[in-house]
Amino acid sequence: MTSAAQDIQSAITVKGSADIVCDYLNYGINSILFQRGLYPPENFKPDENYGVTLWMTTDNKIKEFLLKTLDQLRNWLVDKAVKKVVLVIANVATLEVLERWDFNVEYEEDTLTNPDKVSSKPIKQIRNEIREILKQISASVSYLPLLDCLCSFDVQIYTKGDIDMPSEWNETAPAVIQNAQSVKMRSFSTNIHKMETIVTYKNDI
Amino acid sequence: MEGCPNDTIVNMVKTLNPPSTDFPIKRSLNGNEESTPVPIKRFKSISKDSTPYEGSPRELRRMRADLVEARITIKDLQCRLTNSHSLRNKMELEFKEENKILRRQSEYDKKSIQELEDQLQTIRKREKDLKSQLSEIKCKYDLLKINSAKEIEMLQNSSSNSKEESTESDIEESAVVASLNRRITELETMLESAEDDAETQKQYVKELSSKLSEDNNLQKNLEQKEYELMKAKLTVNNLEYQLKSYSEFQDQAKQQADKLSRYIELEKENERLNQERASLLDQVKNKLILEEQAFDFKRRLEKYKDYDKKLMDLQIQQSQSMLQLNEWKAVAREICESMDSDSSLPHQLRSVVEKLQHQELTLTSQKVELECELKSISHESKVLKSEVEKCRKLIEELKLTGEQKQKLIHRMEKRLKLVISERDSYRRQLDSYENDLTMDTTVSRSSSQLQTQREHINNLEKLVSGYRDTVAELENDLHNAQPHLRDDIPLKIEQVARLKDEVQRLKLENDKLRQRCDQLEIKLERQMENDSSFKGGKIAHQLYNPLRESVEQRANQVENLKKEIERLKLKIKNYEQGIENSKIGDVTLHSKEIDALNEQLKSQESQTEMLRNYLKSNFQELRNVIYVLFGYKMDRTKNSLYTLANMYAEKPEDVICFQYADGNMHLLQNEFTASLEHMINLHVKQQNSIPVFLSSLTLDLFANKSMTGLLSVNLTGN
Repeated sequence: MTSAAQDIQSAITVKGSADIVCDYLNYGINSILFQRGLYPPENFKPDENYGVTLWMTTDNKIKEFLLKTLDQLRNWLVDKAVKKVVLVIANVATLEVLERWDFNVEYEEDTLTNPDKVSSKPIKQIRNEIREILKQISASVSYLPLLDCLCSFDVQIYTKGDIDMPSEWNETAPAVIQNAQSVKMRSFSTNIHKMETIVTYKNDI
Repeated sequence: MEGCPNDTIVNMVKTLNPPSTDFPIKRSLNGNEESTPVPIKRFKSISKDSTPYEGSPRELRRMRADLVEARITIKDLQCRLTNSHSLRNKMELEFKEENKILRRQSEYDKKSIQELEDQLQTIRKREKDLKSQLSEIKCKYDLLKINSAKEIEMLQNSSSNSKEESTESDIEESAVVASLNRRITELETMLESAEDDAETQKQYVKELSSKLSEDNNLQKNLEQKEYELMKAKLTVNNLEYQLKSYSEFQDQAKQQADKLSRYIELEKENERLNQERASLLDQVKNKLILEEQAFDFKRRLEKYKDYDKKLMDLQIQQSQSMLQLNEWKAVAREICESMDSDSSLPHQLRSVVEKLQHQELTLTSQKVELECELKSISHESKVLKSEVEKCRKLIEELKLTGEQKQKLIHRMEKRLKLVISERDSYRRQLDSYENDLTMDTTVSRSSSQLQTQREHINNLEKLVSGYRDTVAELENDLHNAQPHLRDDIPLKIEQVARLKDEVQRLKLENDKLRQRCDQLEIKLERQMENDSSFKGGKIAHQLYNPLRESVEQRANQVENLKKEIERLKLKIKNYEQGIENSKIGDVTLHSKEIDALNEQLKSQESQTEMLRNYLKSNFQELRNVIYVLFGYKMDRTKNSLYTLANMYAEKPEDVICFQYADGNMHLLQNEFTASLEHMINLHVKQQNSIPVFLSSLTLDLFANKSMTGLLSVNLTGN
């Protein structure tokens, strides 16, 4: 995915930028699933990327789910229809939303007007930015509350305007956390897409 | 070309006639292979022997042409020859190949022939063997024939011998038969004698039986007599009883007689008693009436008691109400402020109340007005508050100015002190001047000097007075300023306290408002969040996400667990009831199985019942048949203990007991068998046959029974 962008070197197309974003989300979501202990650690294997070791799931079901979701997301990113991507962590027993990871997508100004825009931002810089966010995600365990119940996750994509819902997809309600507290992480930009990461969690105090 | 001249001439002639010369060549060309070479050869041989011939150039030319032609023909023919040769070679090769094949075939055929021959030989050998065997067998057969003939002869001899023997034995047998016949006759005679004996015995038996019947009759008579005796005893008893009763009657009669003698007295007494009774009856009636009355009274009394209680309560209530009334009256009087009679009081009170109501109405209207006013005042107060705020600012400003003024006063005081000190110094100066002046007065002085000094003094006095004036002014100012301050202070304190309260109140209000603001902000944020998420977009997610999957999984798990709990509860219940069998794990299956097994059990039981009934009936039938056919009723009393009761037994107790053990029947001793000793000895011990014993017993018993039957018949007949 990134290799395509690397080949061109400092000439990232909209599609390449979408690839970078999806790649980040893949690693980020996997990292969150591992760090937040949603699945047992033996279901993950280490993978070196962005200069850090990241834990990727080995569960085929989750892999397939993420692959499908990110594929669809890539298409929508290229169409500039995505507002934000939300990873919802909810209690299975009560369906209460305990944690929400917002990945806000912003489009650089001329991206909207010029669909064939090419970014000249060095790929190395983008990767460095992503690495910093992934480090922050890893470090977030220290302040996020412990998830001491059976939890599962869902990925929601907030879209702009009316879009055609593909098969196996449907509309859902927004995940709202009562008495919430948010922490904003660093953001990265490809000069086409700008991604902002925010974690919102239930404040028990 | 140097051949014989004849030939050449001929040729020449031939050449002159072109068709004739051409002909052979043409023919050779046309193809007869055998005809063409011959003239050429001849032509050569001719040319060798011939002398050189010099012809005309035309002829030569012609000859040459012929020669060329001939050569061509030769070549052609050679070609044909080679062709034919090659053809021949090919043919030869084919022939060779065919030859080879044929040879191979012939070889193969030879081989097969060889094999066949071998086979033939083996077959021949076998034939030979068989022939030899056949000859052997024939020899054997012959031998056997001879042997059998010998045997036949032997057997014929033996048969003749045996025939002879049989004849001999026949003779012997006839002798034995004769002896046996003799024996039989002897036995018959013995039998006759025995029969005679038996008849005598029978007669004896008849006599005995007649005696027996007589005895029986006697016994019957005896029994009858005993019965009569019993009856007589009963009658005697009855009579004794009657006798006793009779004596009692006599006693009673005596008593009655006595009573009769006292009858008149008794009658009198009776009358008296009747009277008494009548009076008593009256009394009883009276008593009943009295009782009723008493009951009535009691009831009434109870009622009255209740009434009393009620009355008491009512009195208390009345007193209370009277008190209340008095109070009310007093109140009313107070209200009415009149000392009129009680009757006019309610009217007055009503009028007063009406007045009061009227007043209340007016007051309420006033109150409404006042409320309005209050509102307006509160509004004003708000306005005033703002004014107060302004005033406060003013006060602060005034404070500031006051402080400035105080500072100013301080400075003024300082200046005053300075002025005073100055004045003091001037005064001292003046004193010194006066001293000087007094000294001067004493000392001689000039008038001018005096004049100037006076002027100087005057000036100084003016100056002092000026100073005094300024001091007075300043003091006045000070005085003016201070009382103003003193007057302000209490007002200020009040104001400050009020303002403090107000500040406190405002602070509280501020806090409240801040909290409300926070809440609203939170709400707004949420709303904004929701709005932002919804605004002009959709939220898409995959239908089959891990969350849904795990929720479904959990639901399934819960369902399963519930089922298991139900199952376990049922199991526990069953365990508690003691139904649960440790062998059977599943309860649901278990109950069904139990039902099935119960049904099976029932069917089996019914089957066994049917079988039992069938066997019972069959067995009974068998027993009956045995009883009818063999005359014995057989019962199995205990384990392998059998009792046989004969059909013709004299008494039902006459039974024979057998015990079956180790495949043998053991006859057990009892009273009946003890009487059959001779039979047992004969049949069981000697002949070792129980059936014979039993049948002989049957015969014996039957004979006895029929005999007794006959005897009894006879006796009854007699």
